[in-house]
Amino acid sequence: MSQPYLRFENLTKVYERGQVVALKNVSFSVEKGEFLVIIGLSGSGKSTLLRCINRLIEPSAGQIFVDGVDVTQLSSARMRRVRRKIGMIFQHFNLINRSTVLTNTLSGRLGYMSAWRSLLGLFTKEDKKLAIQNLARVGLEDKAYARADELSGGQQQRVGIARALMQNPDLLLTDEPVSALDPATSHSVMQYLEQMNQEDGVTVLASLHFLSLARRYGTRIIALKGGELMFDGSPSEIDEAKFKEIYGDEAEEVEVR
Amino acid sequence: MSAKNSGNRWQYAPSSFRSLWKRFLGFMLDWSIVYYFLHASMYLYLVFWGSQTIAGWNYYKNDAYAAFFNPLRLDSWMWWLVLGGTLLLVVLLRSFGRSLGQRAFGFSLQGVERSFVNAIQRSTRVIVFPISILFSPFQLLTSVIRKRPPGRGLLHDHVSGSSIRTYIHPSGLPKKRIWFTQWGWIAIALLSLTIFLGWVIIDANLGVLINRTDEARRVFMDIATPDFSHFAVPDPVFYQRAYPQMFSIINLMVLTVLMALAATLIGAFFAFPLSFLGARNLMCQNRTGYVVYSFIRGFFNLFRSIETLIWVIVFAVWIGYGNPFAGVMALVIHTIAALGKLYSEQVESIDSGPIEAILATGGSRFQIIRFGVIPQIIPSFLAFTLYRWDINVRMATIIALVGGGGIGDLLFYYRNQGDWSQVGAVVLAMIAVVWTLDYISGRVRERIA
Ligand SMILES: Nc1ncnc2c1ncn2[C@@H]1O[C@H](COP(=O)(O)OP(=O)(O)OP(=O)(O)O)[C@@H](O)[C@H]1O
Ligand SMILES: [Mg+2]
Repeated sequence: MSQPYLRFENLTKVYERGQVVALKNVSFSVEKGEFLVIIGLSGSGKSTLLRCINRLIEPSAGQIFVDGVDVTQLSSARMRRVRRKIGMIFQHFNLINRSTVLTNTLSGRLGYMSAWRSLLGLFTKEDKKLAIQNLARVGLEDKAYARADELSGGQQQRVGIARALMQNPDLLLTDEPVSALDPATSHSVMQYLEQMNQEDGVTVLASLHFLSLARRYGTRIIALKGGELMFDGSPSEIDEAKFKEIYGDEAEEVEVR
Repeated sequence: MSAKNSGNRWQYAPSSFRSLWKRFLGFMLDWSIVYYFLHASMYLYLVFWGSQTIAGWNYYKNDAYAAFFNPLRLDSWMWWLVLGGTLLLVVLLRSFGRSLGQRAFGFSLQGVERSFVNAIQRSTRVIVFPISILFSPFQLLTSVIRKRPPGRGLLHDHVSGSSIRTYIHPSGLPKKRIWFTQWGWIAIALLSLTIFLGWVIIDANLGVLINRTDEARRVFMDIATPDFSHFAVPDPVFYQRAYPQMFSIINLMVLTVLMALAATLIGAFFAFPLSFLGARNLMCQNRTGYVVYSFIRGFFNLFRSIETLIWVIVFAVWIGYGNPFAGVMALVIHTIAALGKLYSEQVESIDSGPIEAILATGGSRFQIIRFGVIPQIIPSFLAFTLYRWDINVRMATIIALVGGGGIGDLLFYYRNQGDWSQVGAVVLAMIAVVWTLDYISGRVRERIA
């Protein structure tokens, strides 16, 4: 074992507006192929942590090594090259509502395209074929030419997954991928993520609100509290006491079946 | 109250230069209001009773008109009197009750620890103020040098133990309706005085409307019986040197609509790319972007605030009086600025989710605009452009007034001839076209939205 796939060193983020310290000296590492679940109260810094990895948010201090490369130091052009190998799935899907499902899926290839080709919207035949394949994989091949905003929430999130698949990612960041969905749909979406993790060998970092989902899908769990790392271990290690410590004394565990 | 100031016995002093500056602005507002009342009453005195000379006031009582600036003709000693008098009035106003200036900037007069200010303190403020204000520049200077706001308050604050601070409604007291406060009645007085002054200055005379009905009736009757003989056949008498051939009403109408169409399309062509440079959410991520954004927005605002008719004056000199191209150029300039502003506001209001998503897949700035922004804004851009065409057609019908060409040439030609039946025909044609376009673009916009 030479070095971990993903390594955080004293990652700190201070939002200048309001002087909020969202992350405080967070250090940990992730091995290739892990399904890491991040839990914590609202405002504990989960989204900030995930967005620092692909620099949608600029970290204030510390380093993040992705496959041995310190991404905090990269120029914006080189950062783009790193980003295309990092898929991202969002809580509110972030699809282009007025475009078709196919275009939304194809937009996952943008990082690999030349400027003028993308300006004219000239996706290659192979890209289109791949898009249909990926849509078929999430069970949406018959919706390829529907507008994205005509789809249900669960379907939209599956388009989000197909878009990430188009990137052929090594790493997948998902920020509360199922908190806008009902329990049954949540499980179907989580299973696609699990499939990517197990079959394609994609390392997955997911922030989740429900501990039951975290236990069911995660191979490892970390917990944030007030921007600090306060738990790092296997799902089985989180007992009643740990739970109270993470979520506060008033919290009750809720099951998602 | 900052921790540094607590325990300080001068804690009623304003805590920052910012609040000091706002106090000053509020003061100037009150002063302007008081001076405005004085000026207005002097002017009204001139208009209605001003037959005698008044010492220190050199108005020209033999002027045909009492001009609104005549109250400014004061001897210097009289100026000092006015200055001092208004100053004292302002201080009275601000020391007793809440003034408009305090209200507007969210201030009120408070004692130490926000305590009530009694009548003695208030009177002290009024008396000490004229002396204090003489020293205030000195106090401010020293505080600027020491880089902190005047810790002891200004002299009148200090002596009266009160200062003007951020307003907090006294708990337990009922909130007064705004019209029953000092602010309310000053505002009402200000409004009615201004309306009355406007009436006097414009010299509005309702009698004219009734005296001249016969003349008006003749013209209206002519307009109401339009003469369509030159609707499709050019009038050989009408000759406009900018046009190589003779024009009928319908020819000119088509020309006008095409002028507006050309101006809208060219304007939209330039406004489209500029609007991305003028959108805060896309540009204000770094310093260069911010500079470009400010420049583009400044350009939009400046060029939009200059009316099309004024641009026509410019281009009529440049390109030729009465040349339709001059009119088109003027419309283009105004269209770029107006559409650019509307477009960029639209870009600013888009959902940032797709942008984030495309950024995360490794997309470049261009790809973000092409895939994340444009699909979101196309419908409203189309609607704005159609609407602009509407406006441009209406504008194109009158720009001939200052040499912009189009159907207006014919309208103003017939008006100068006093040929009101022909005017009626032209106006009717204009109404028909404008109304039709308005209807069509309205329907199309409905469909897009
Ligand atoms: N753009 C911003 N500007 C200023 N402060 C911010 C910004 N975004 C987040 N914060 C603050 O940073 C802290 C962490 O926010 P973050 O969104 O990472 O939390 P979270 O764990 O994802 O919460 P949630 O579960 O509600 O999504 C919060 O206190 C939040 O108020
Ligand atoms: Mg979040």
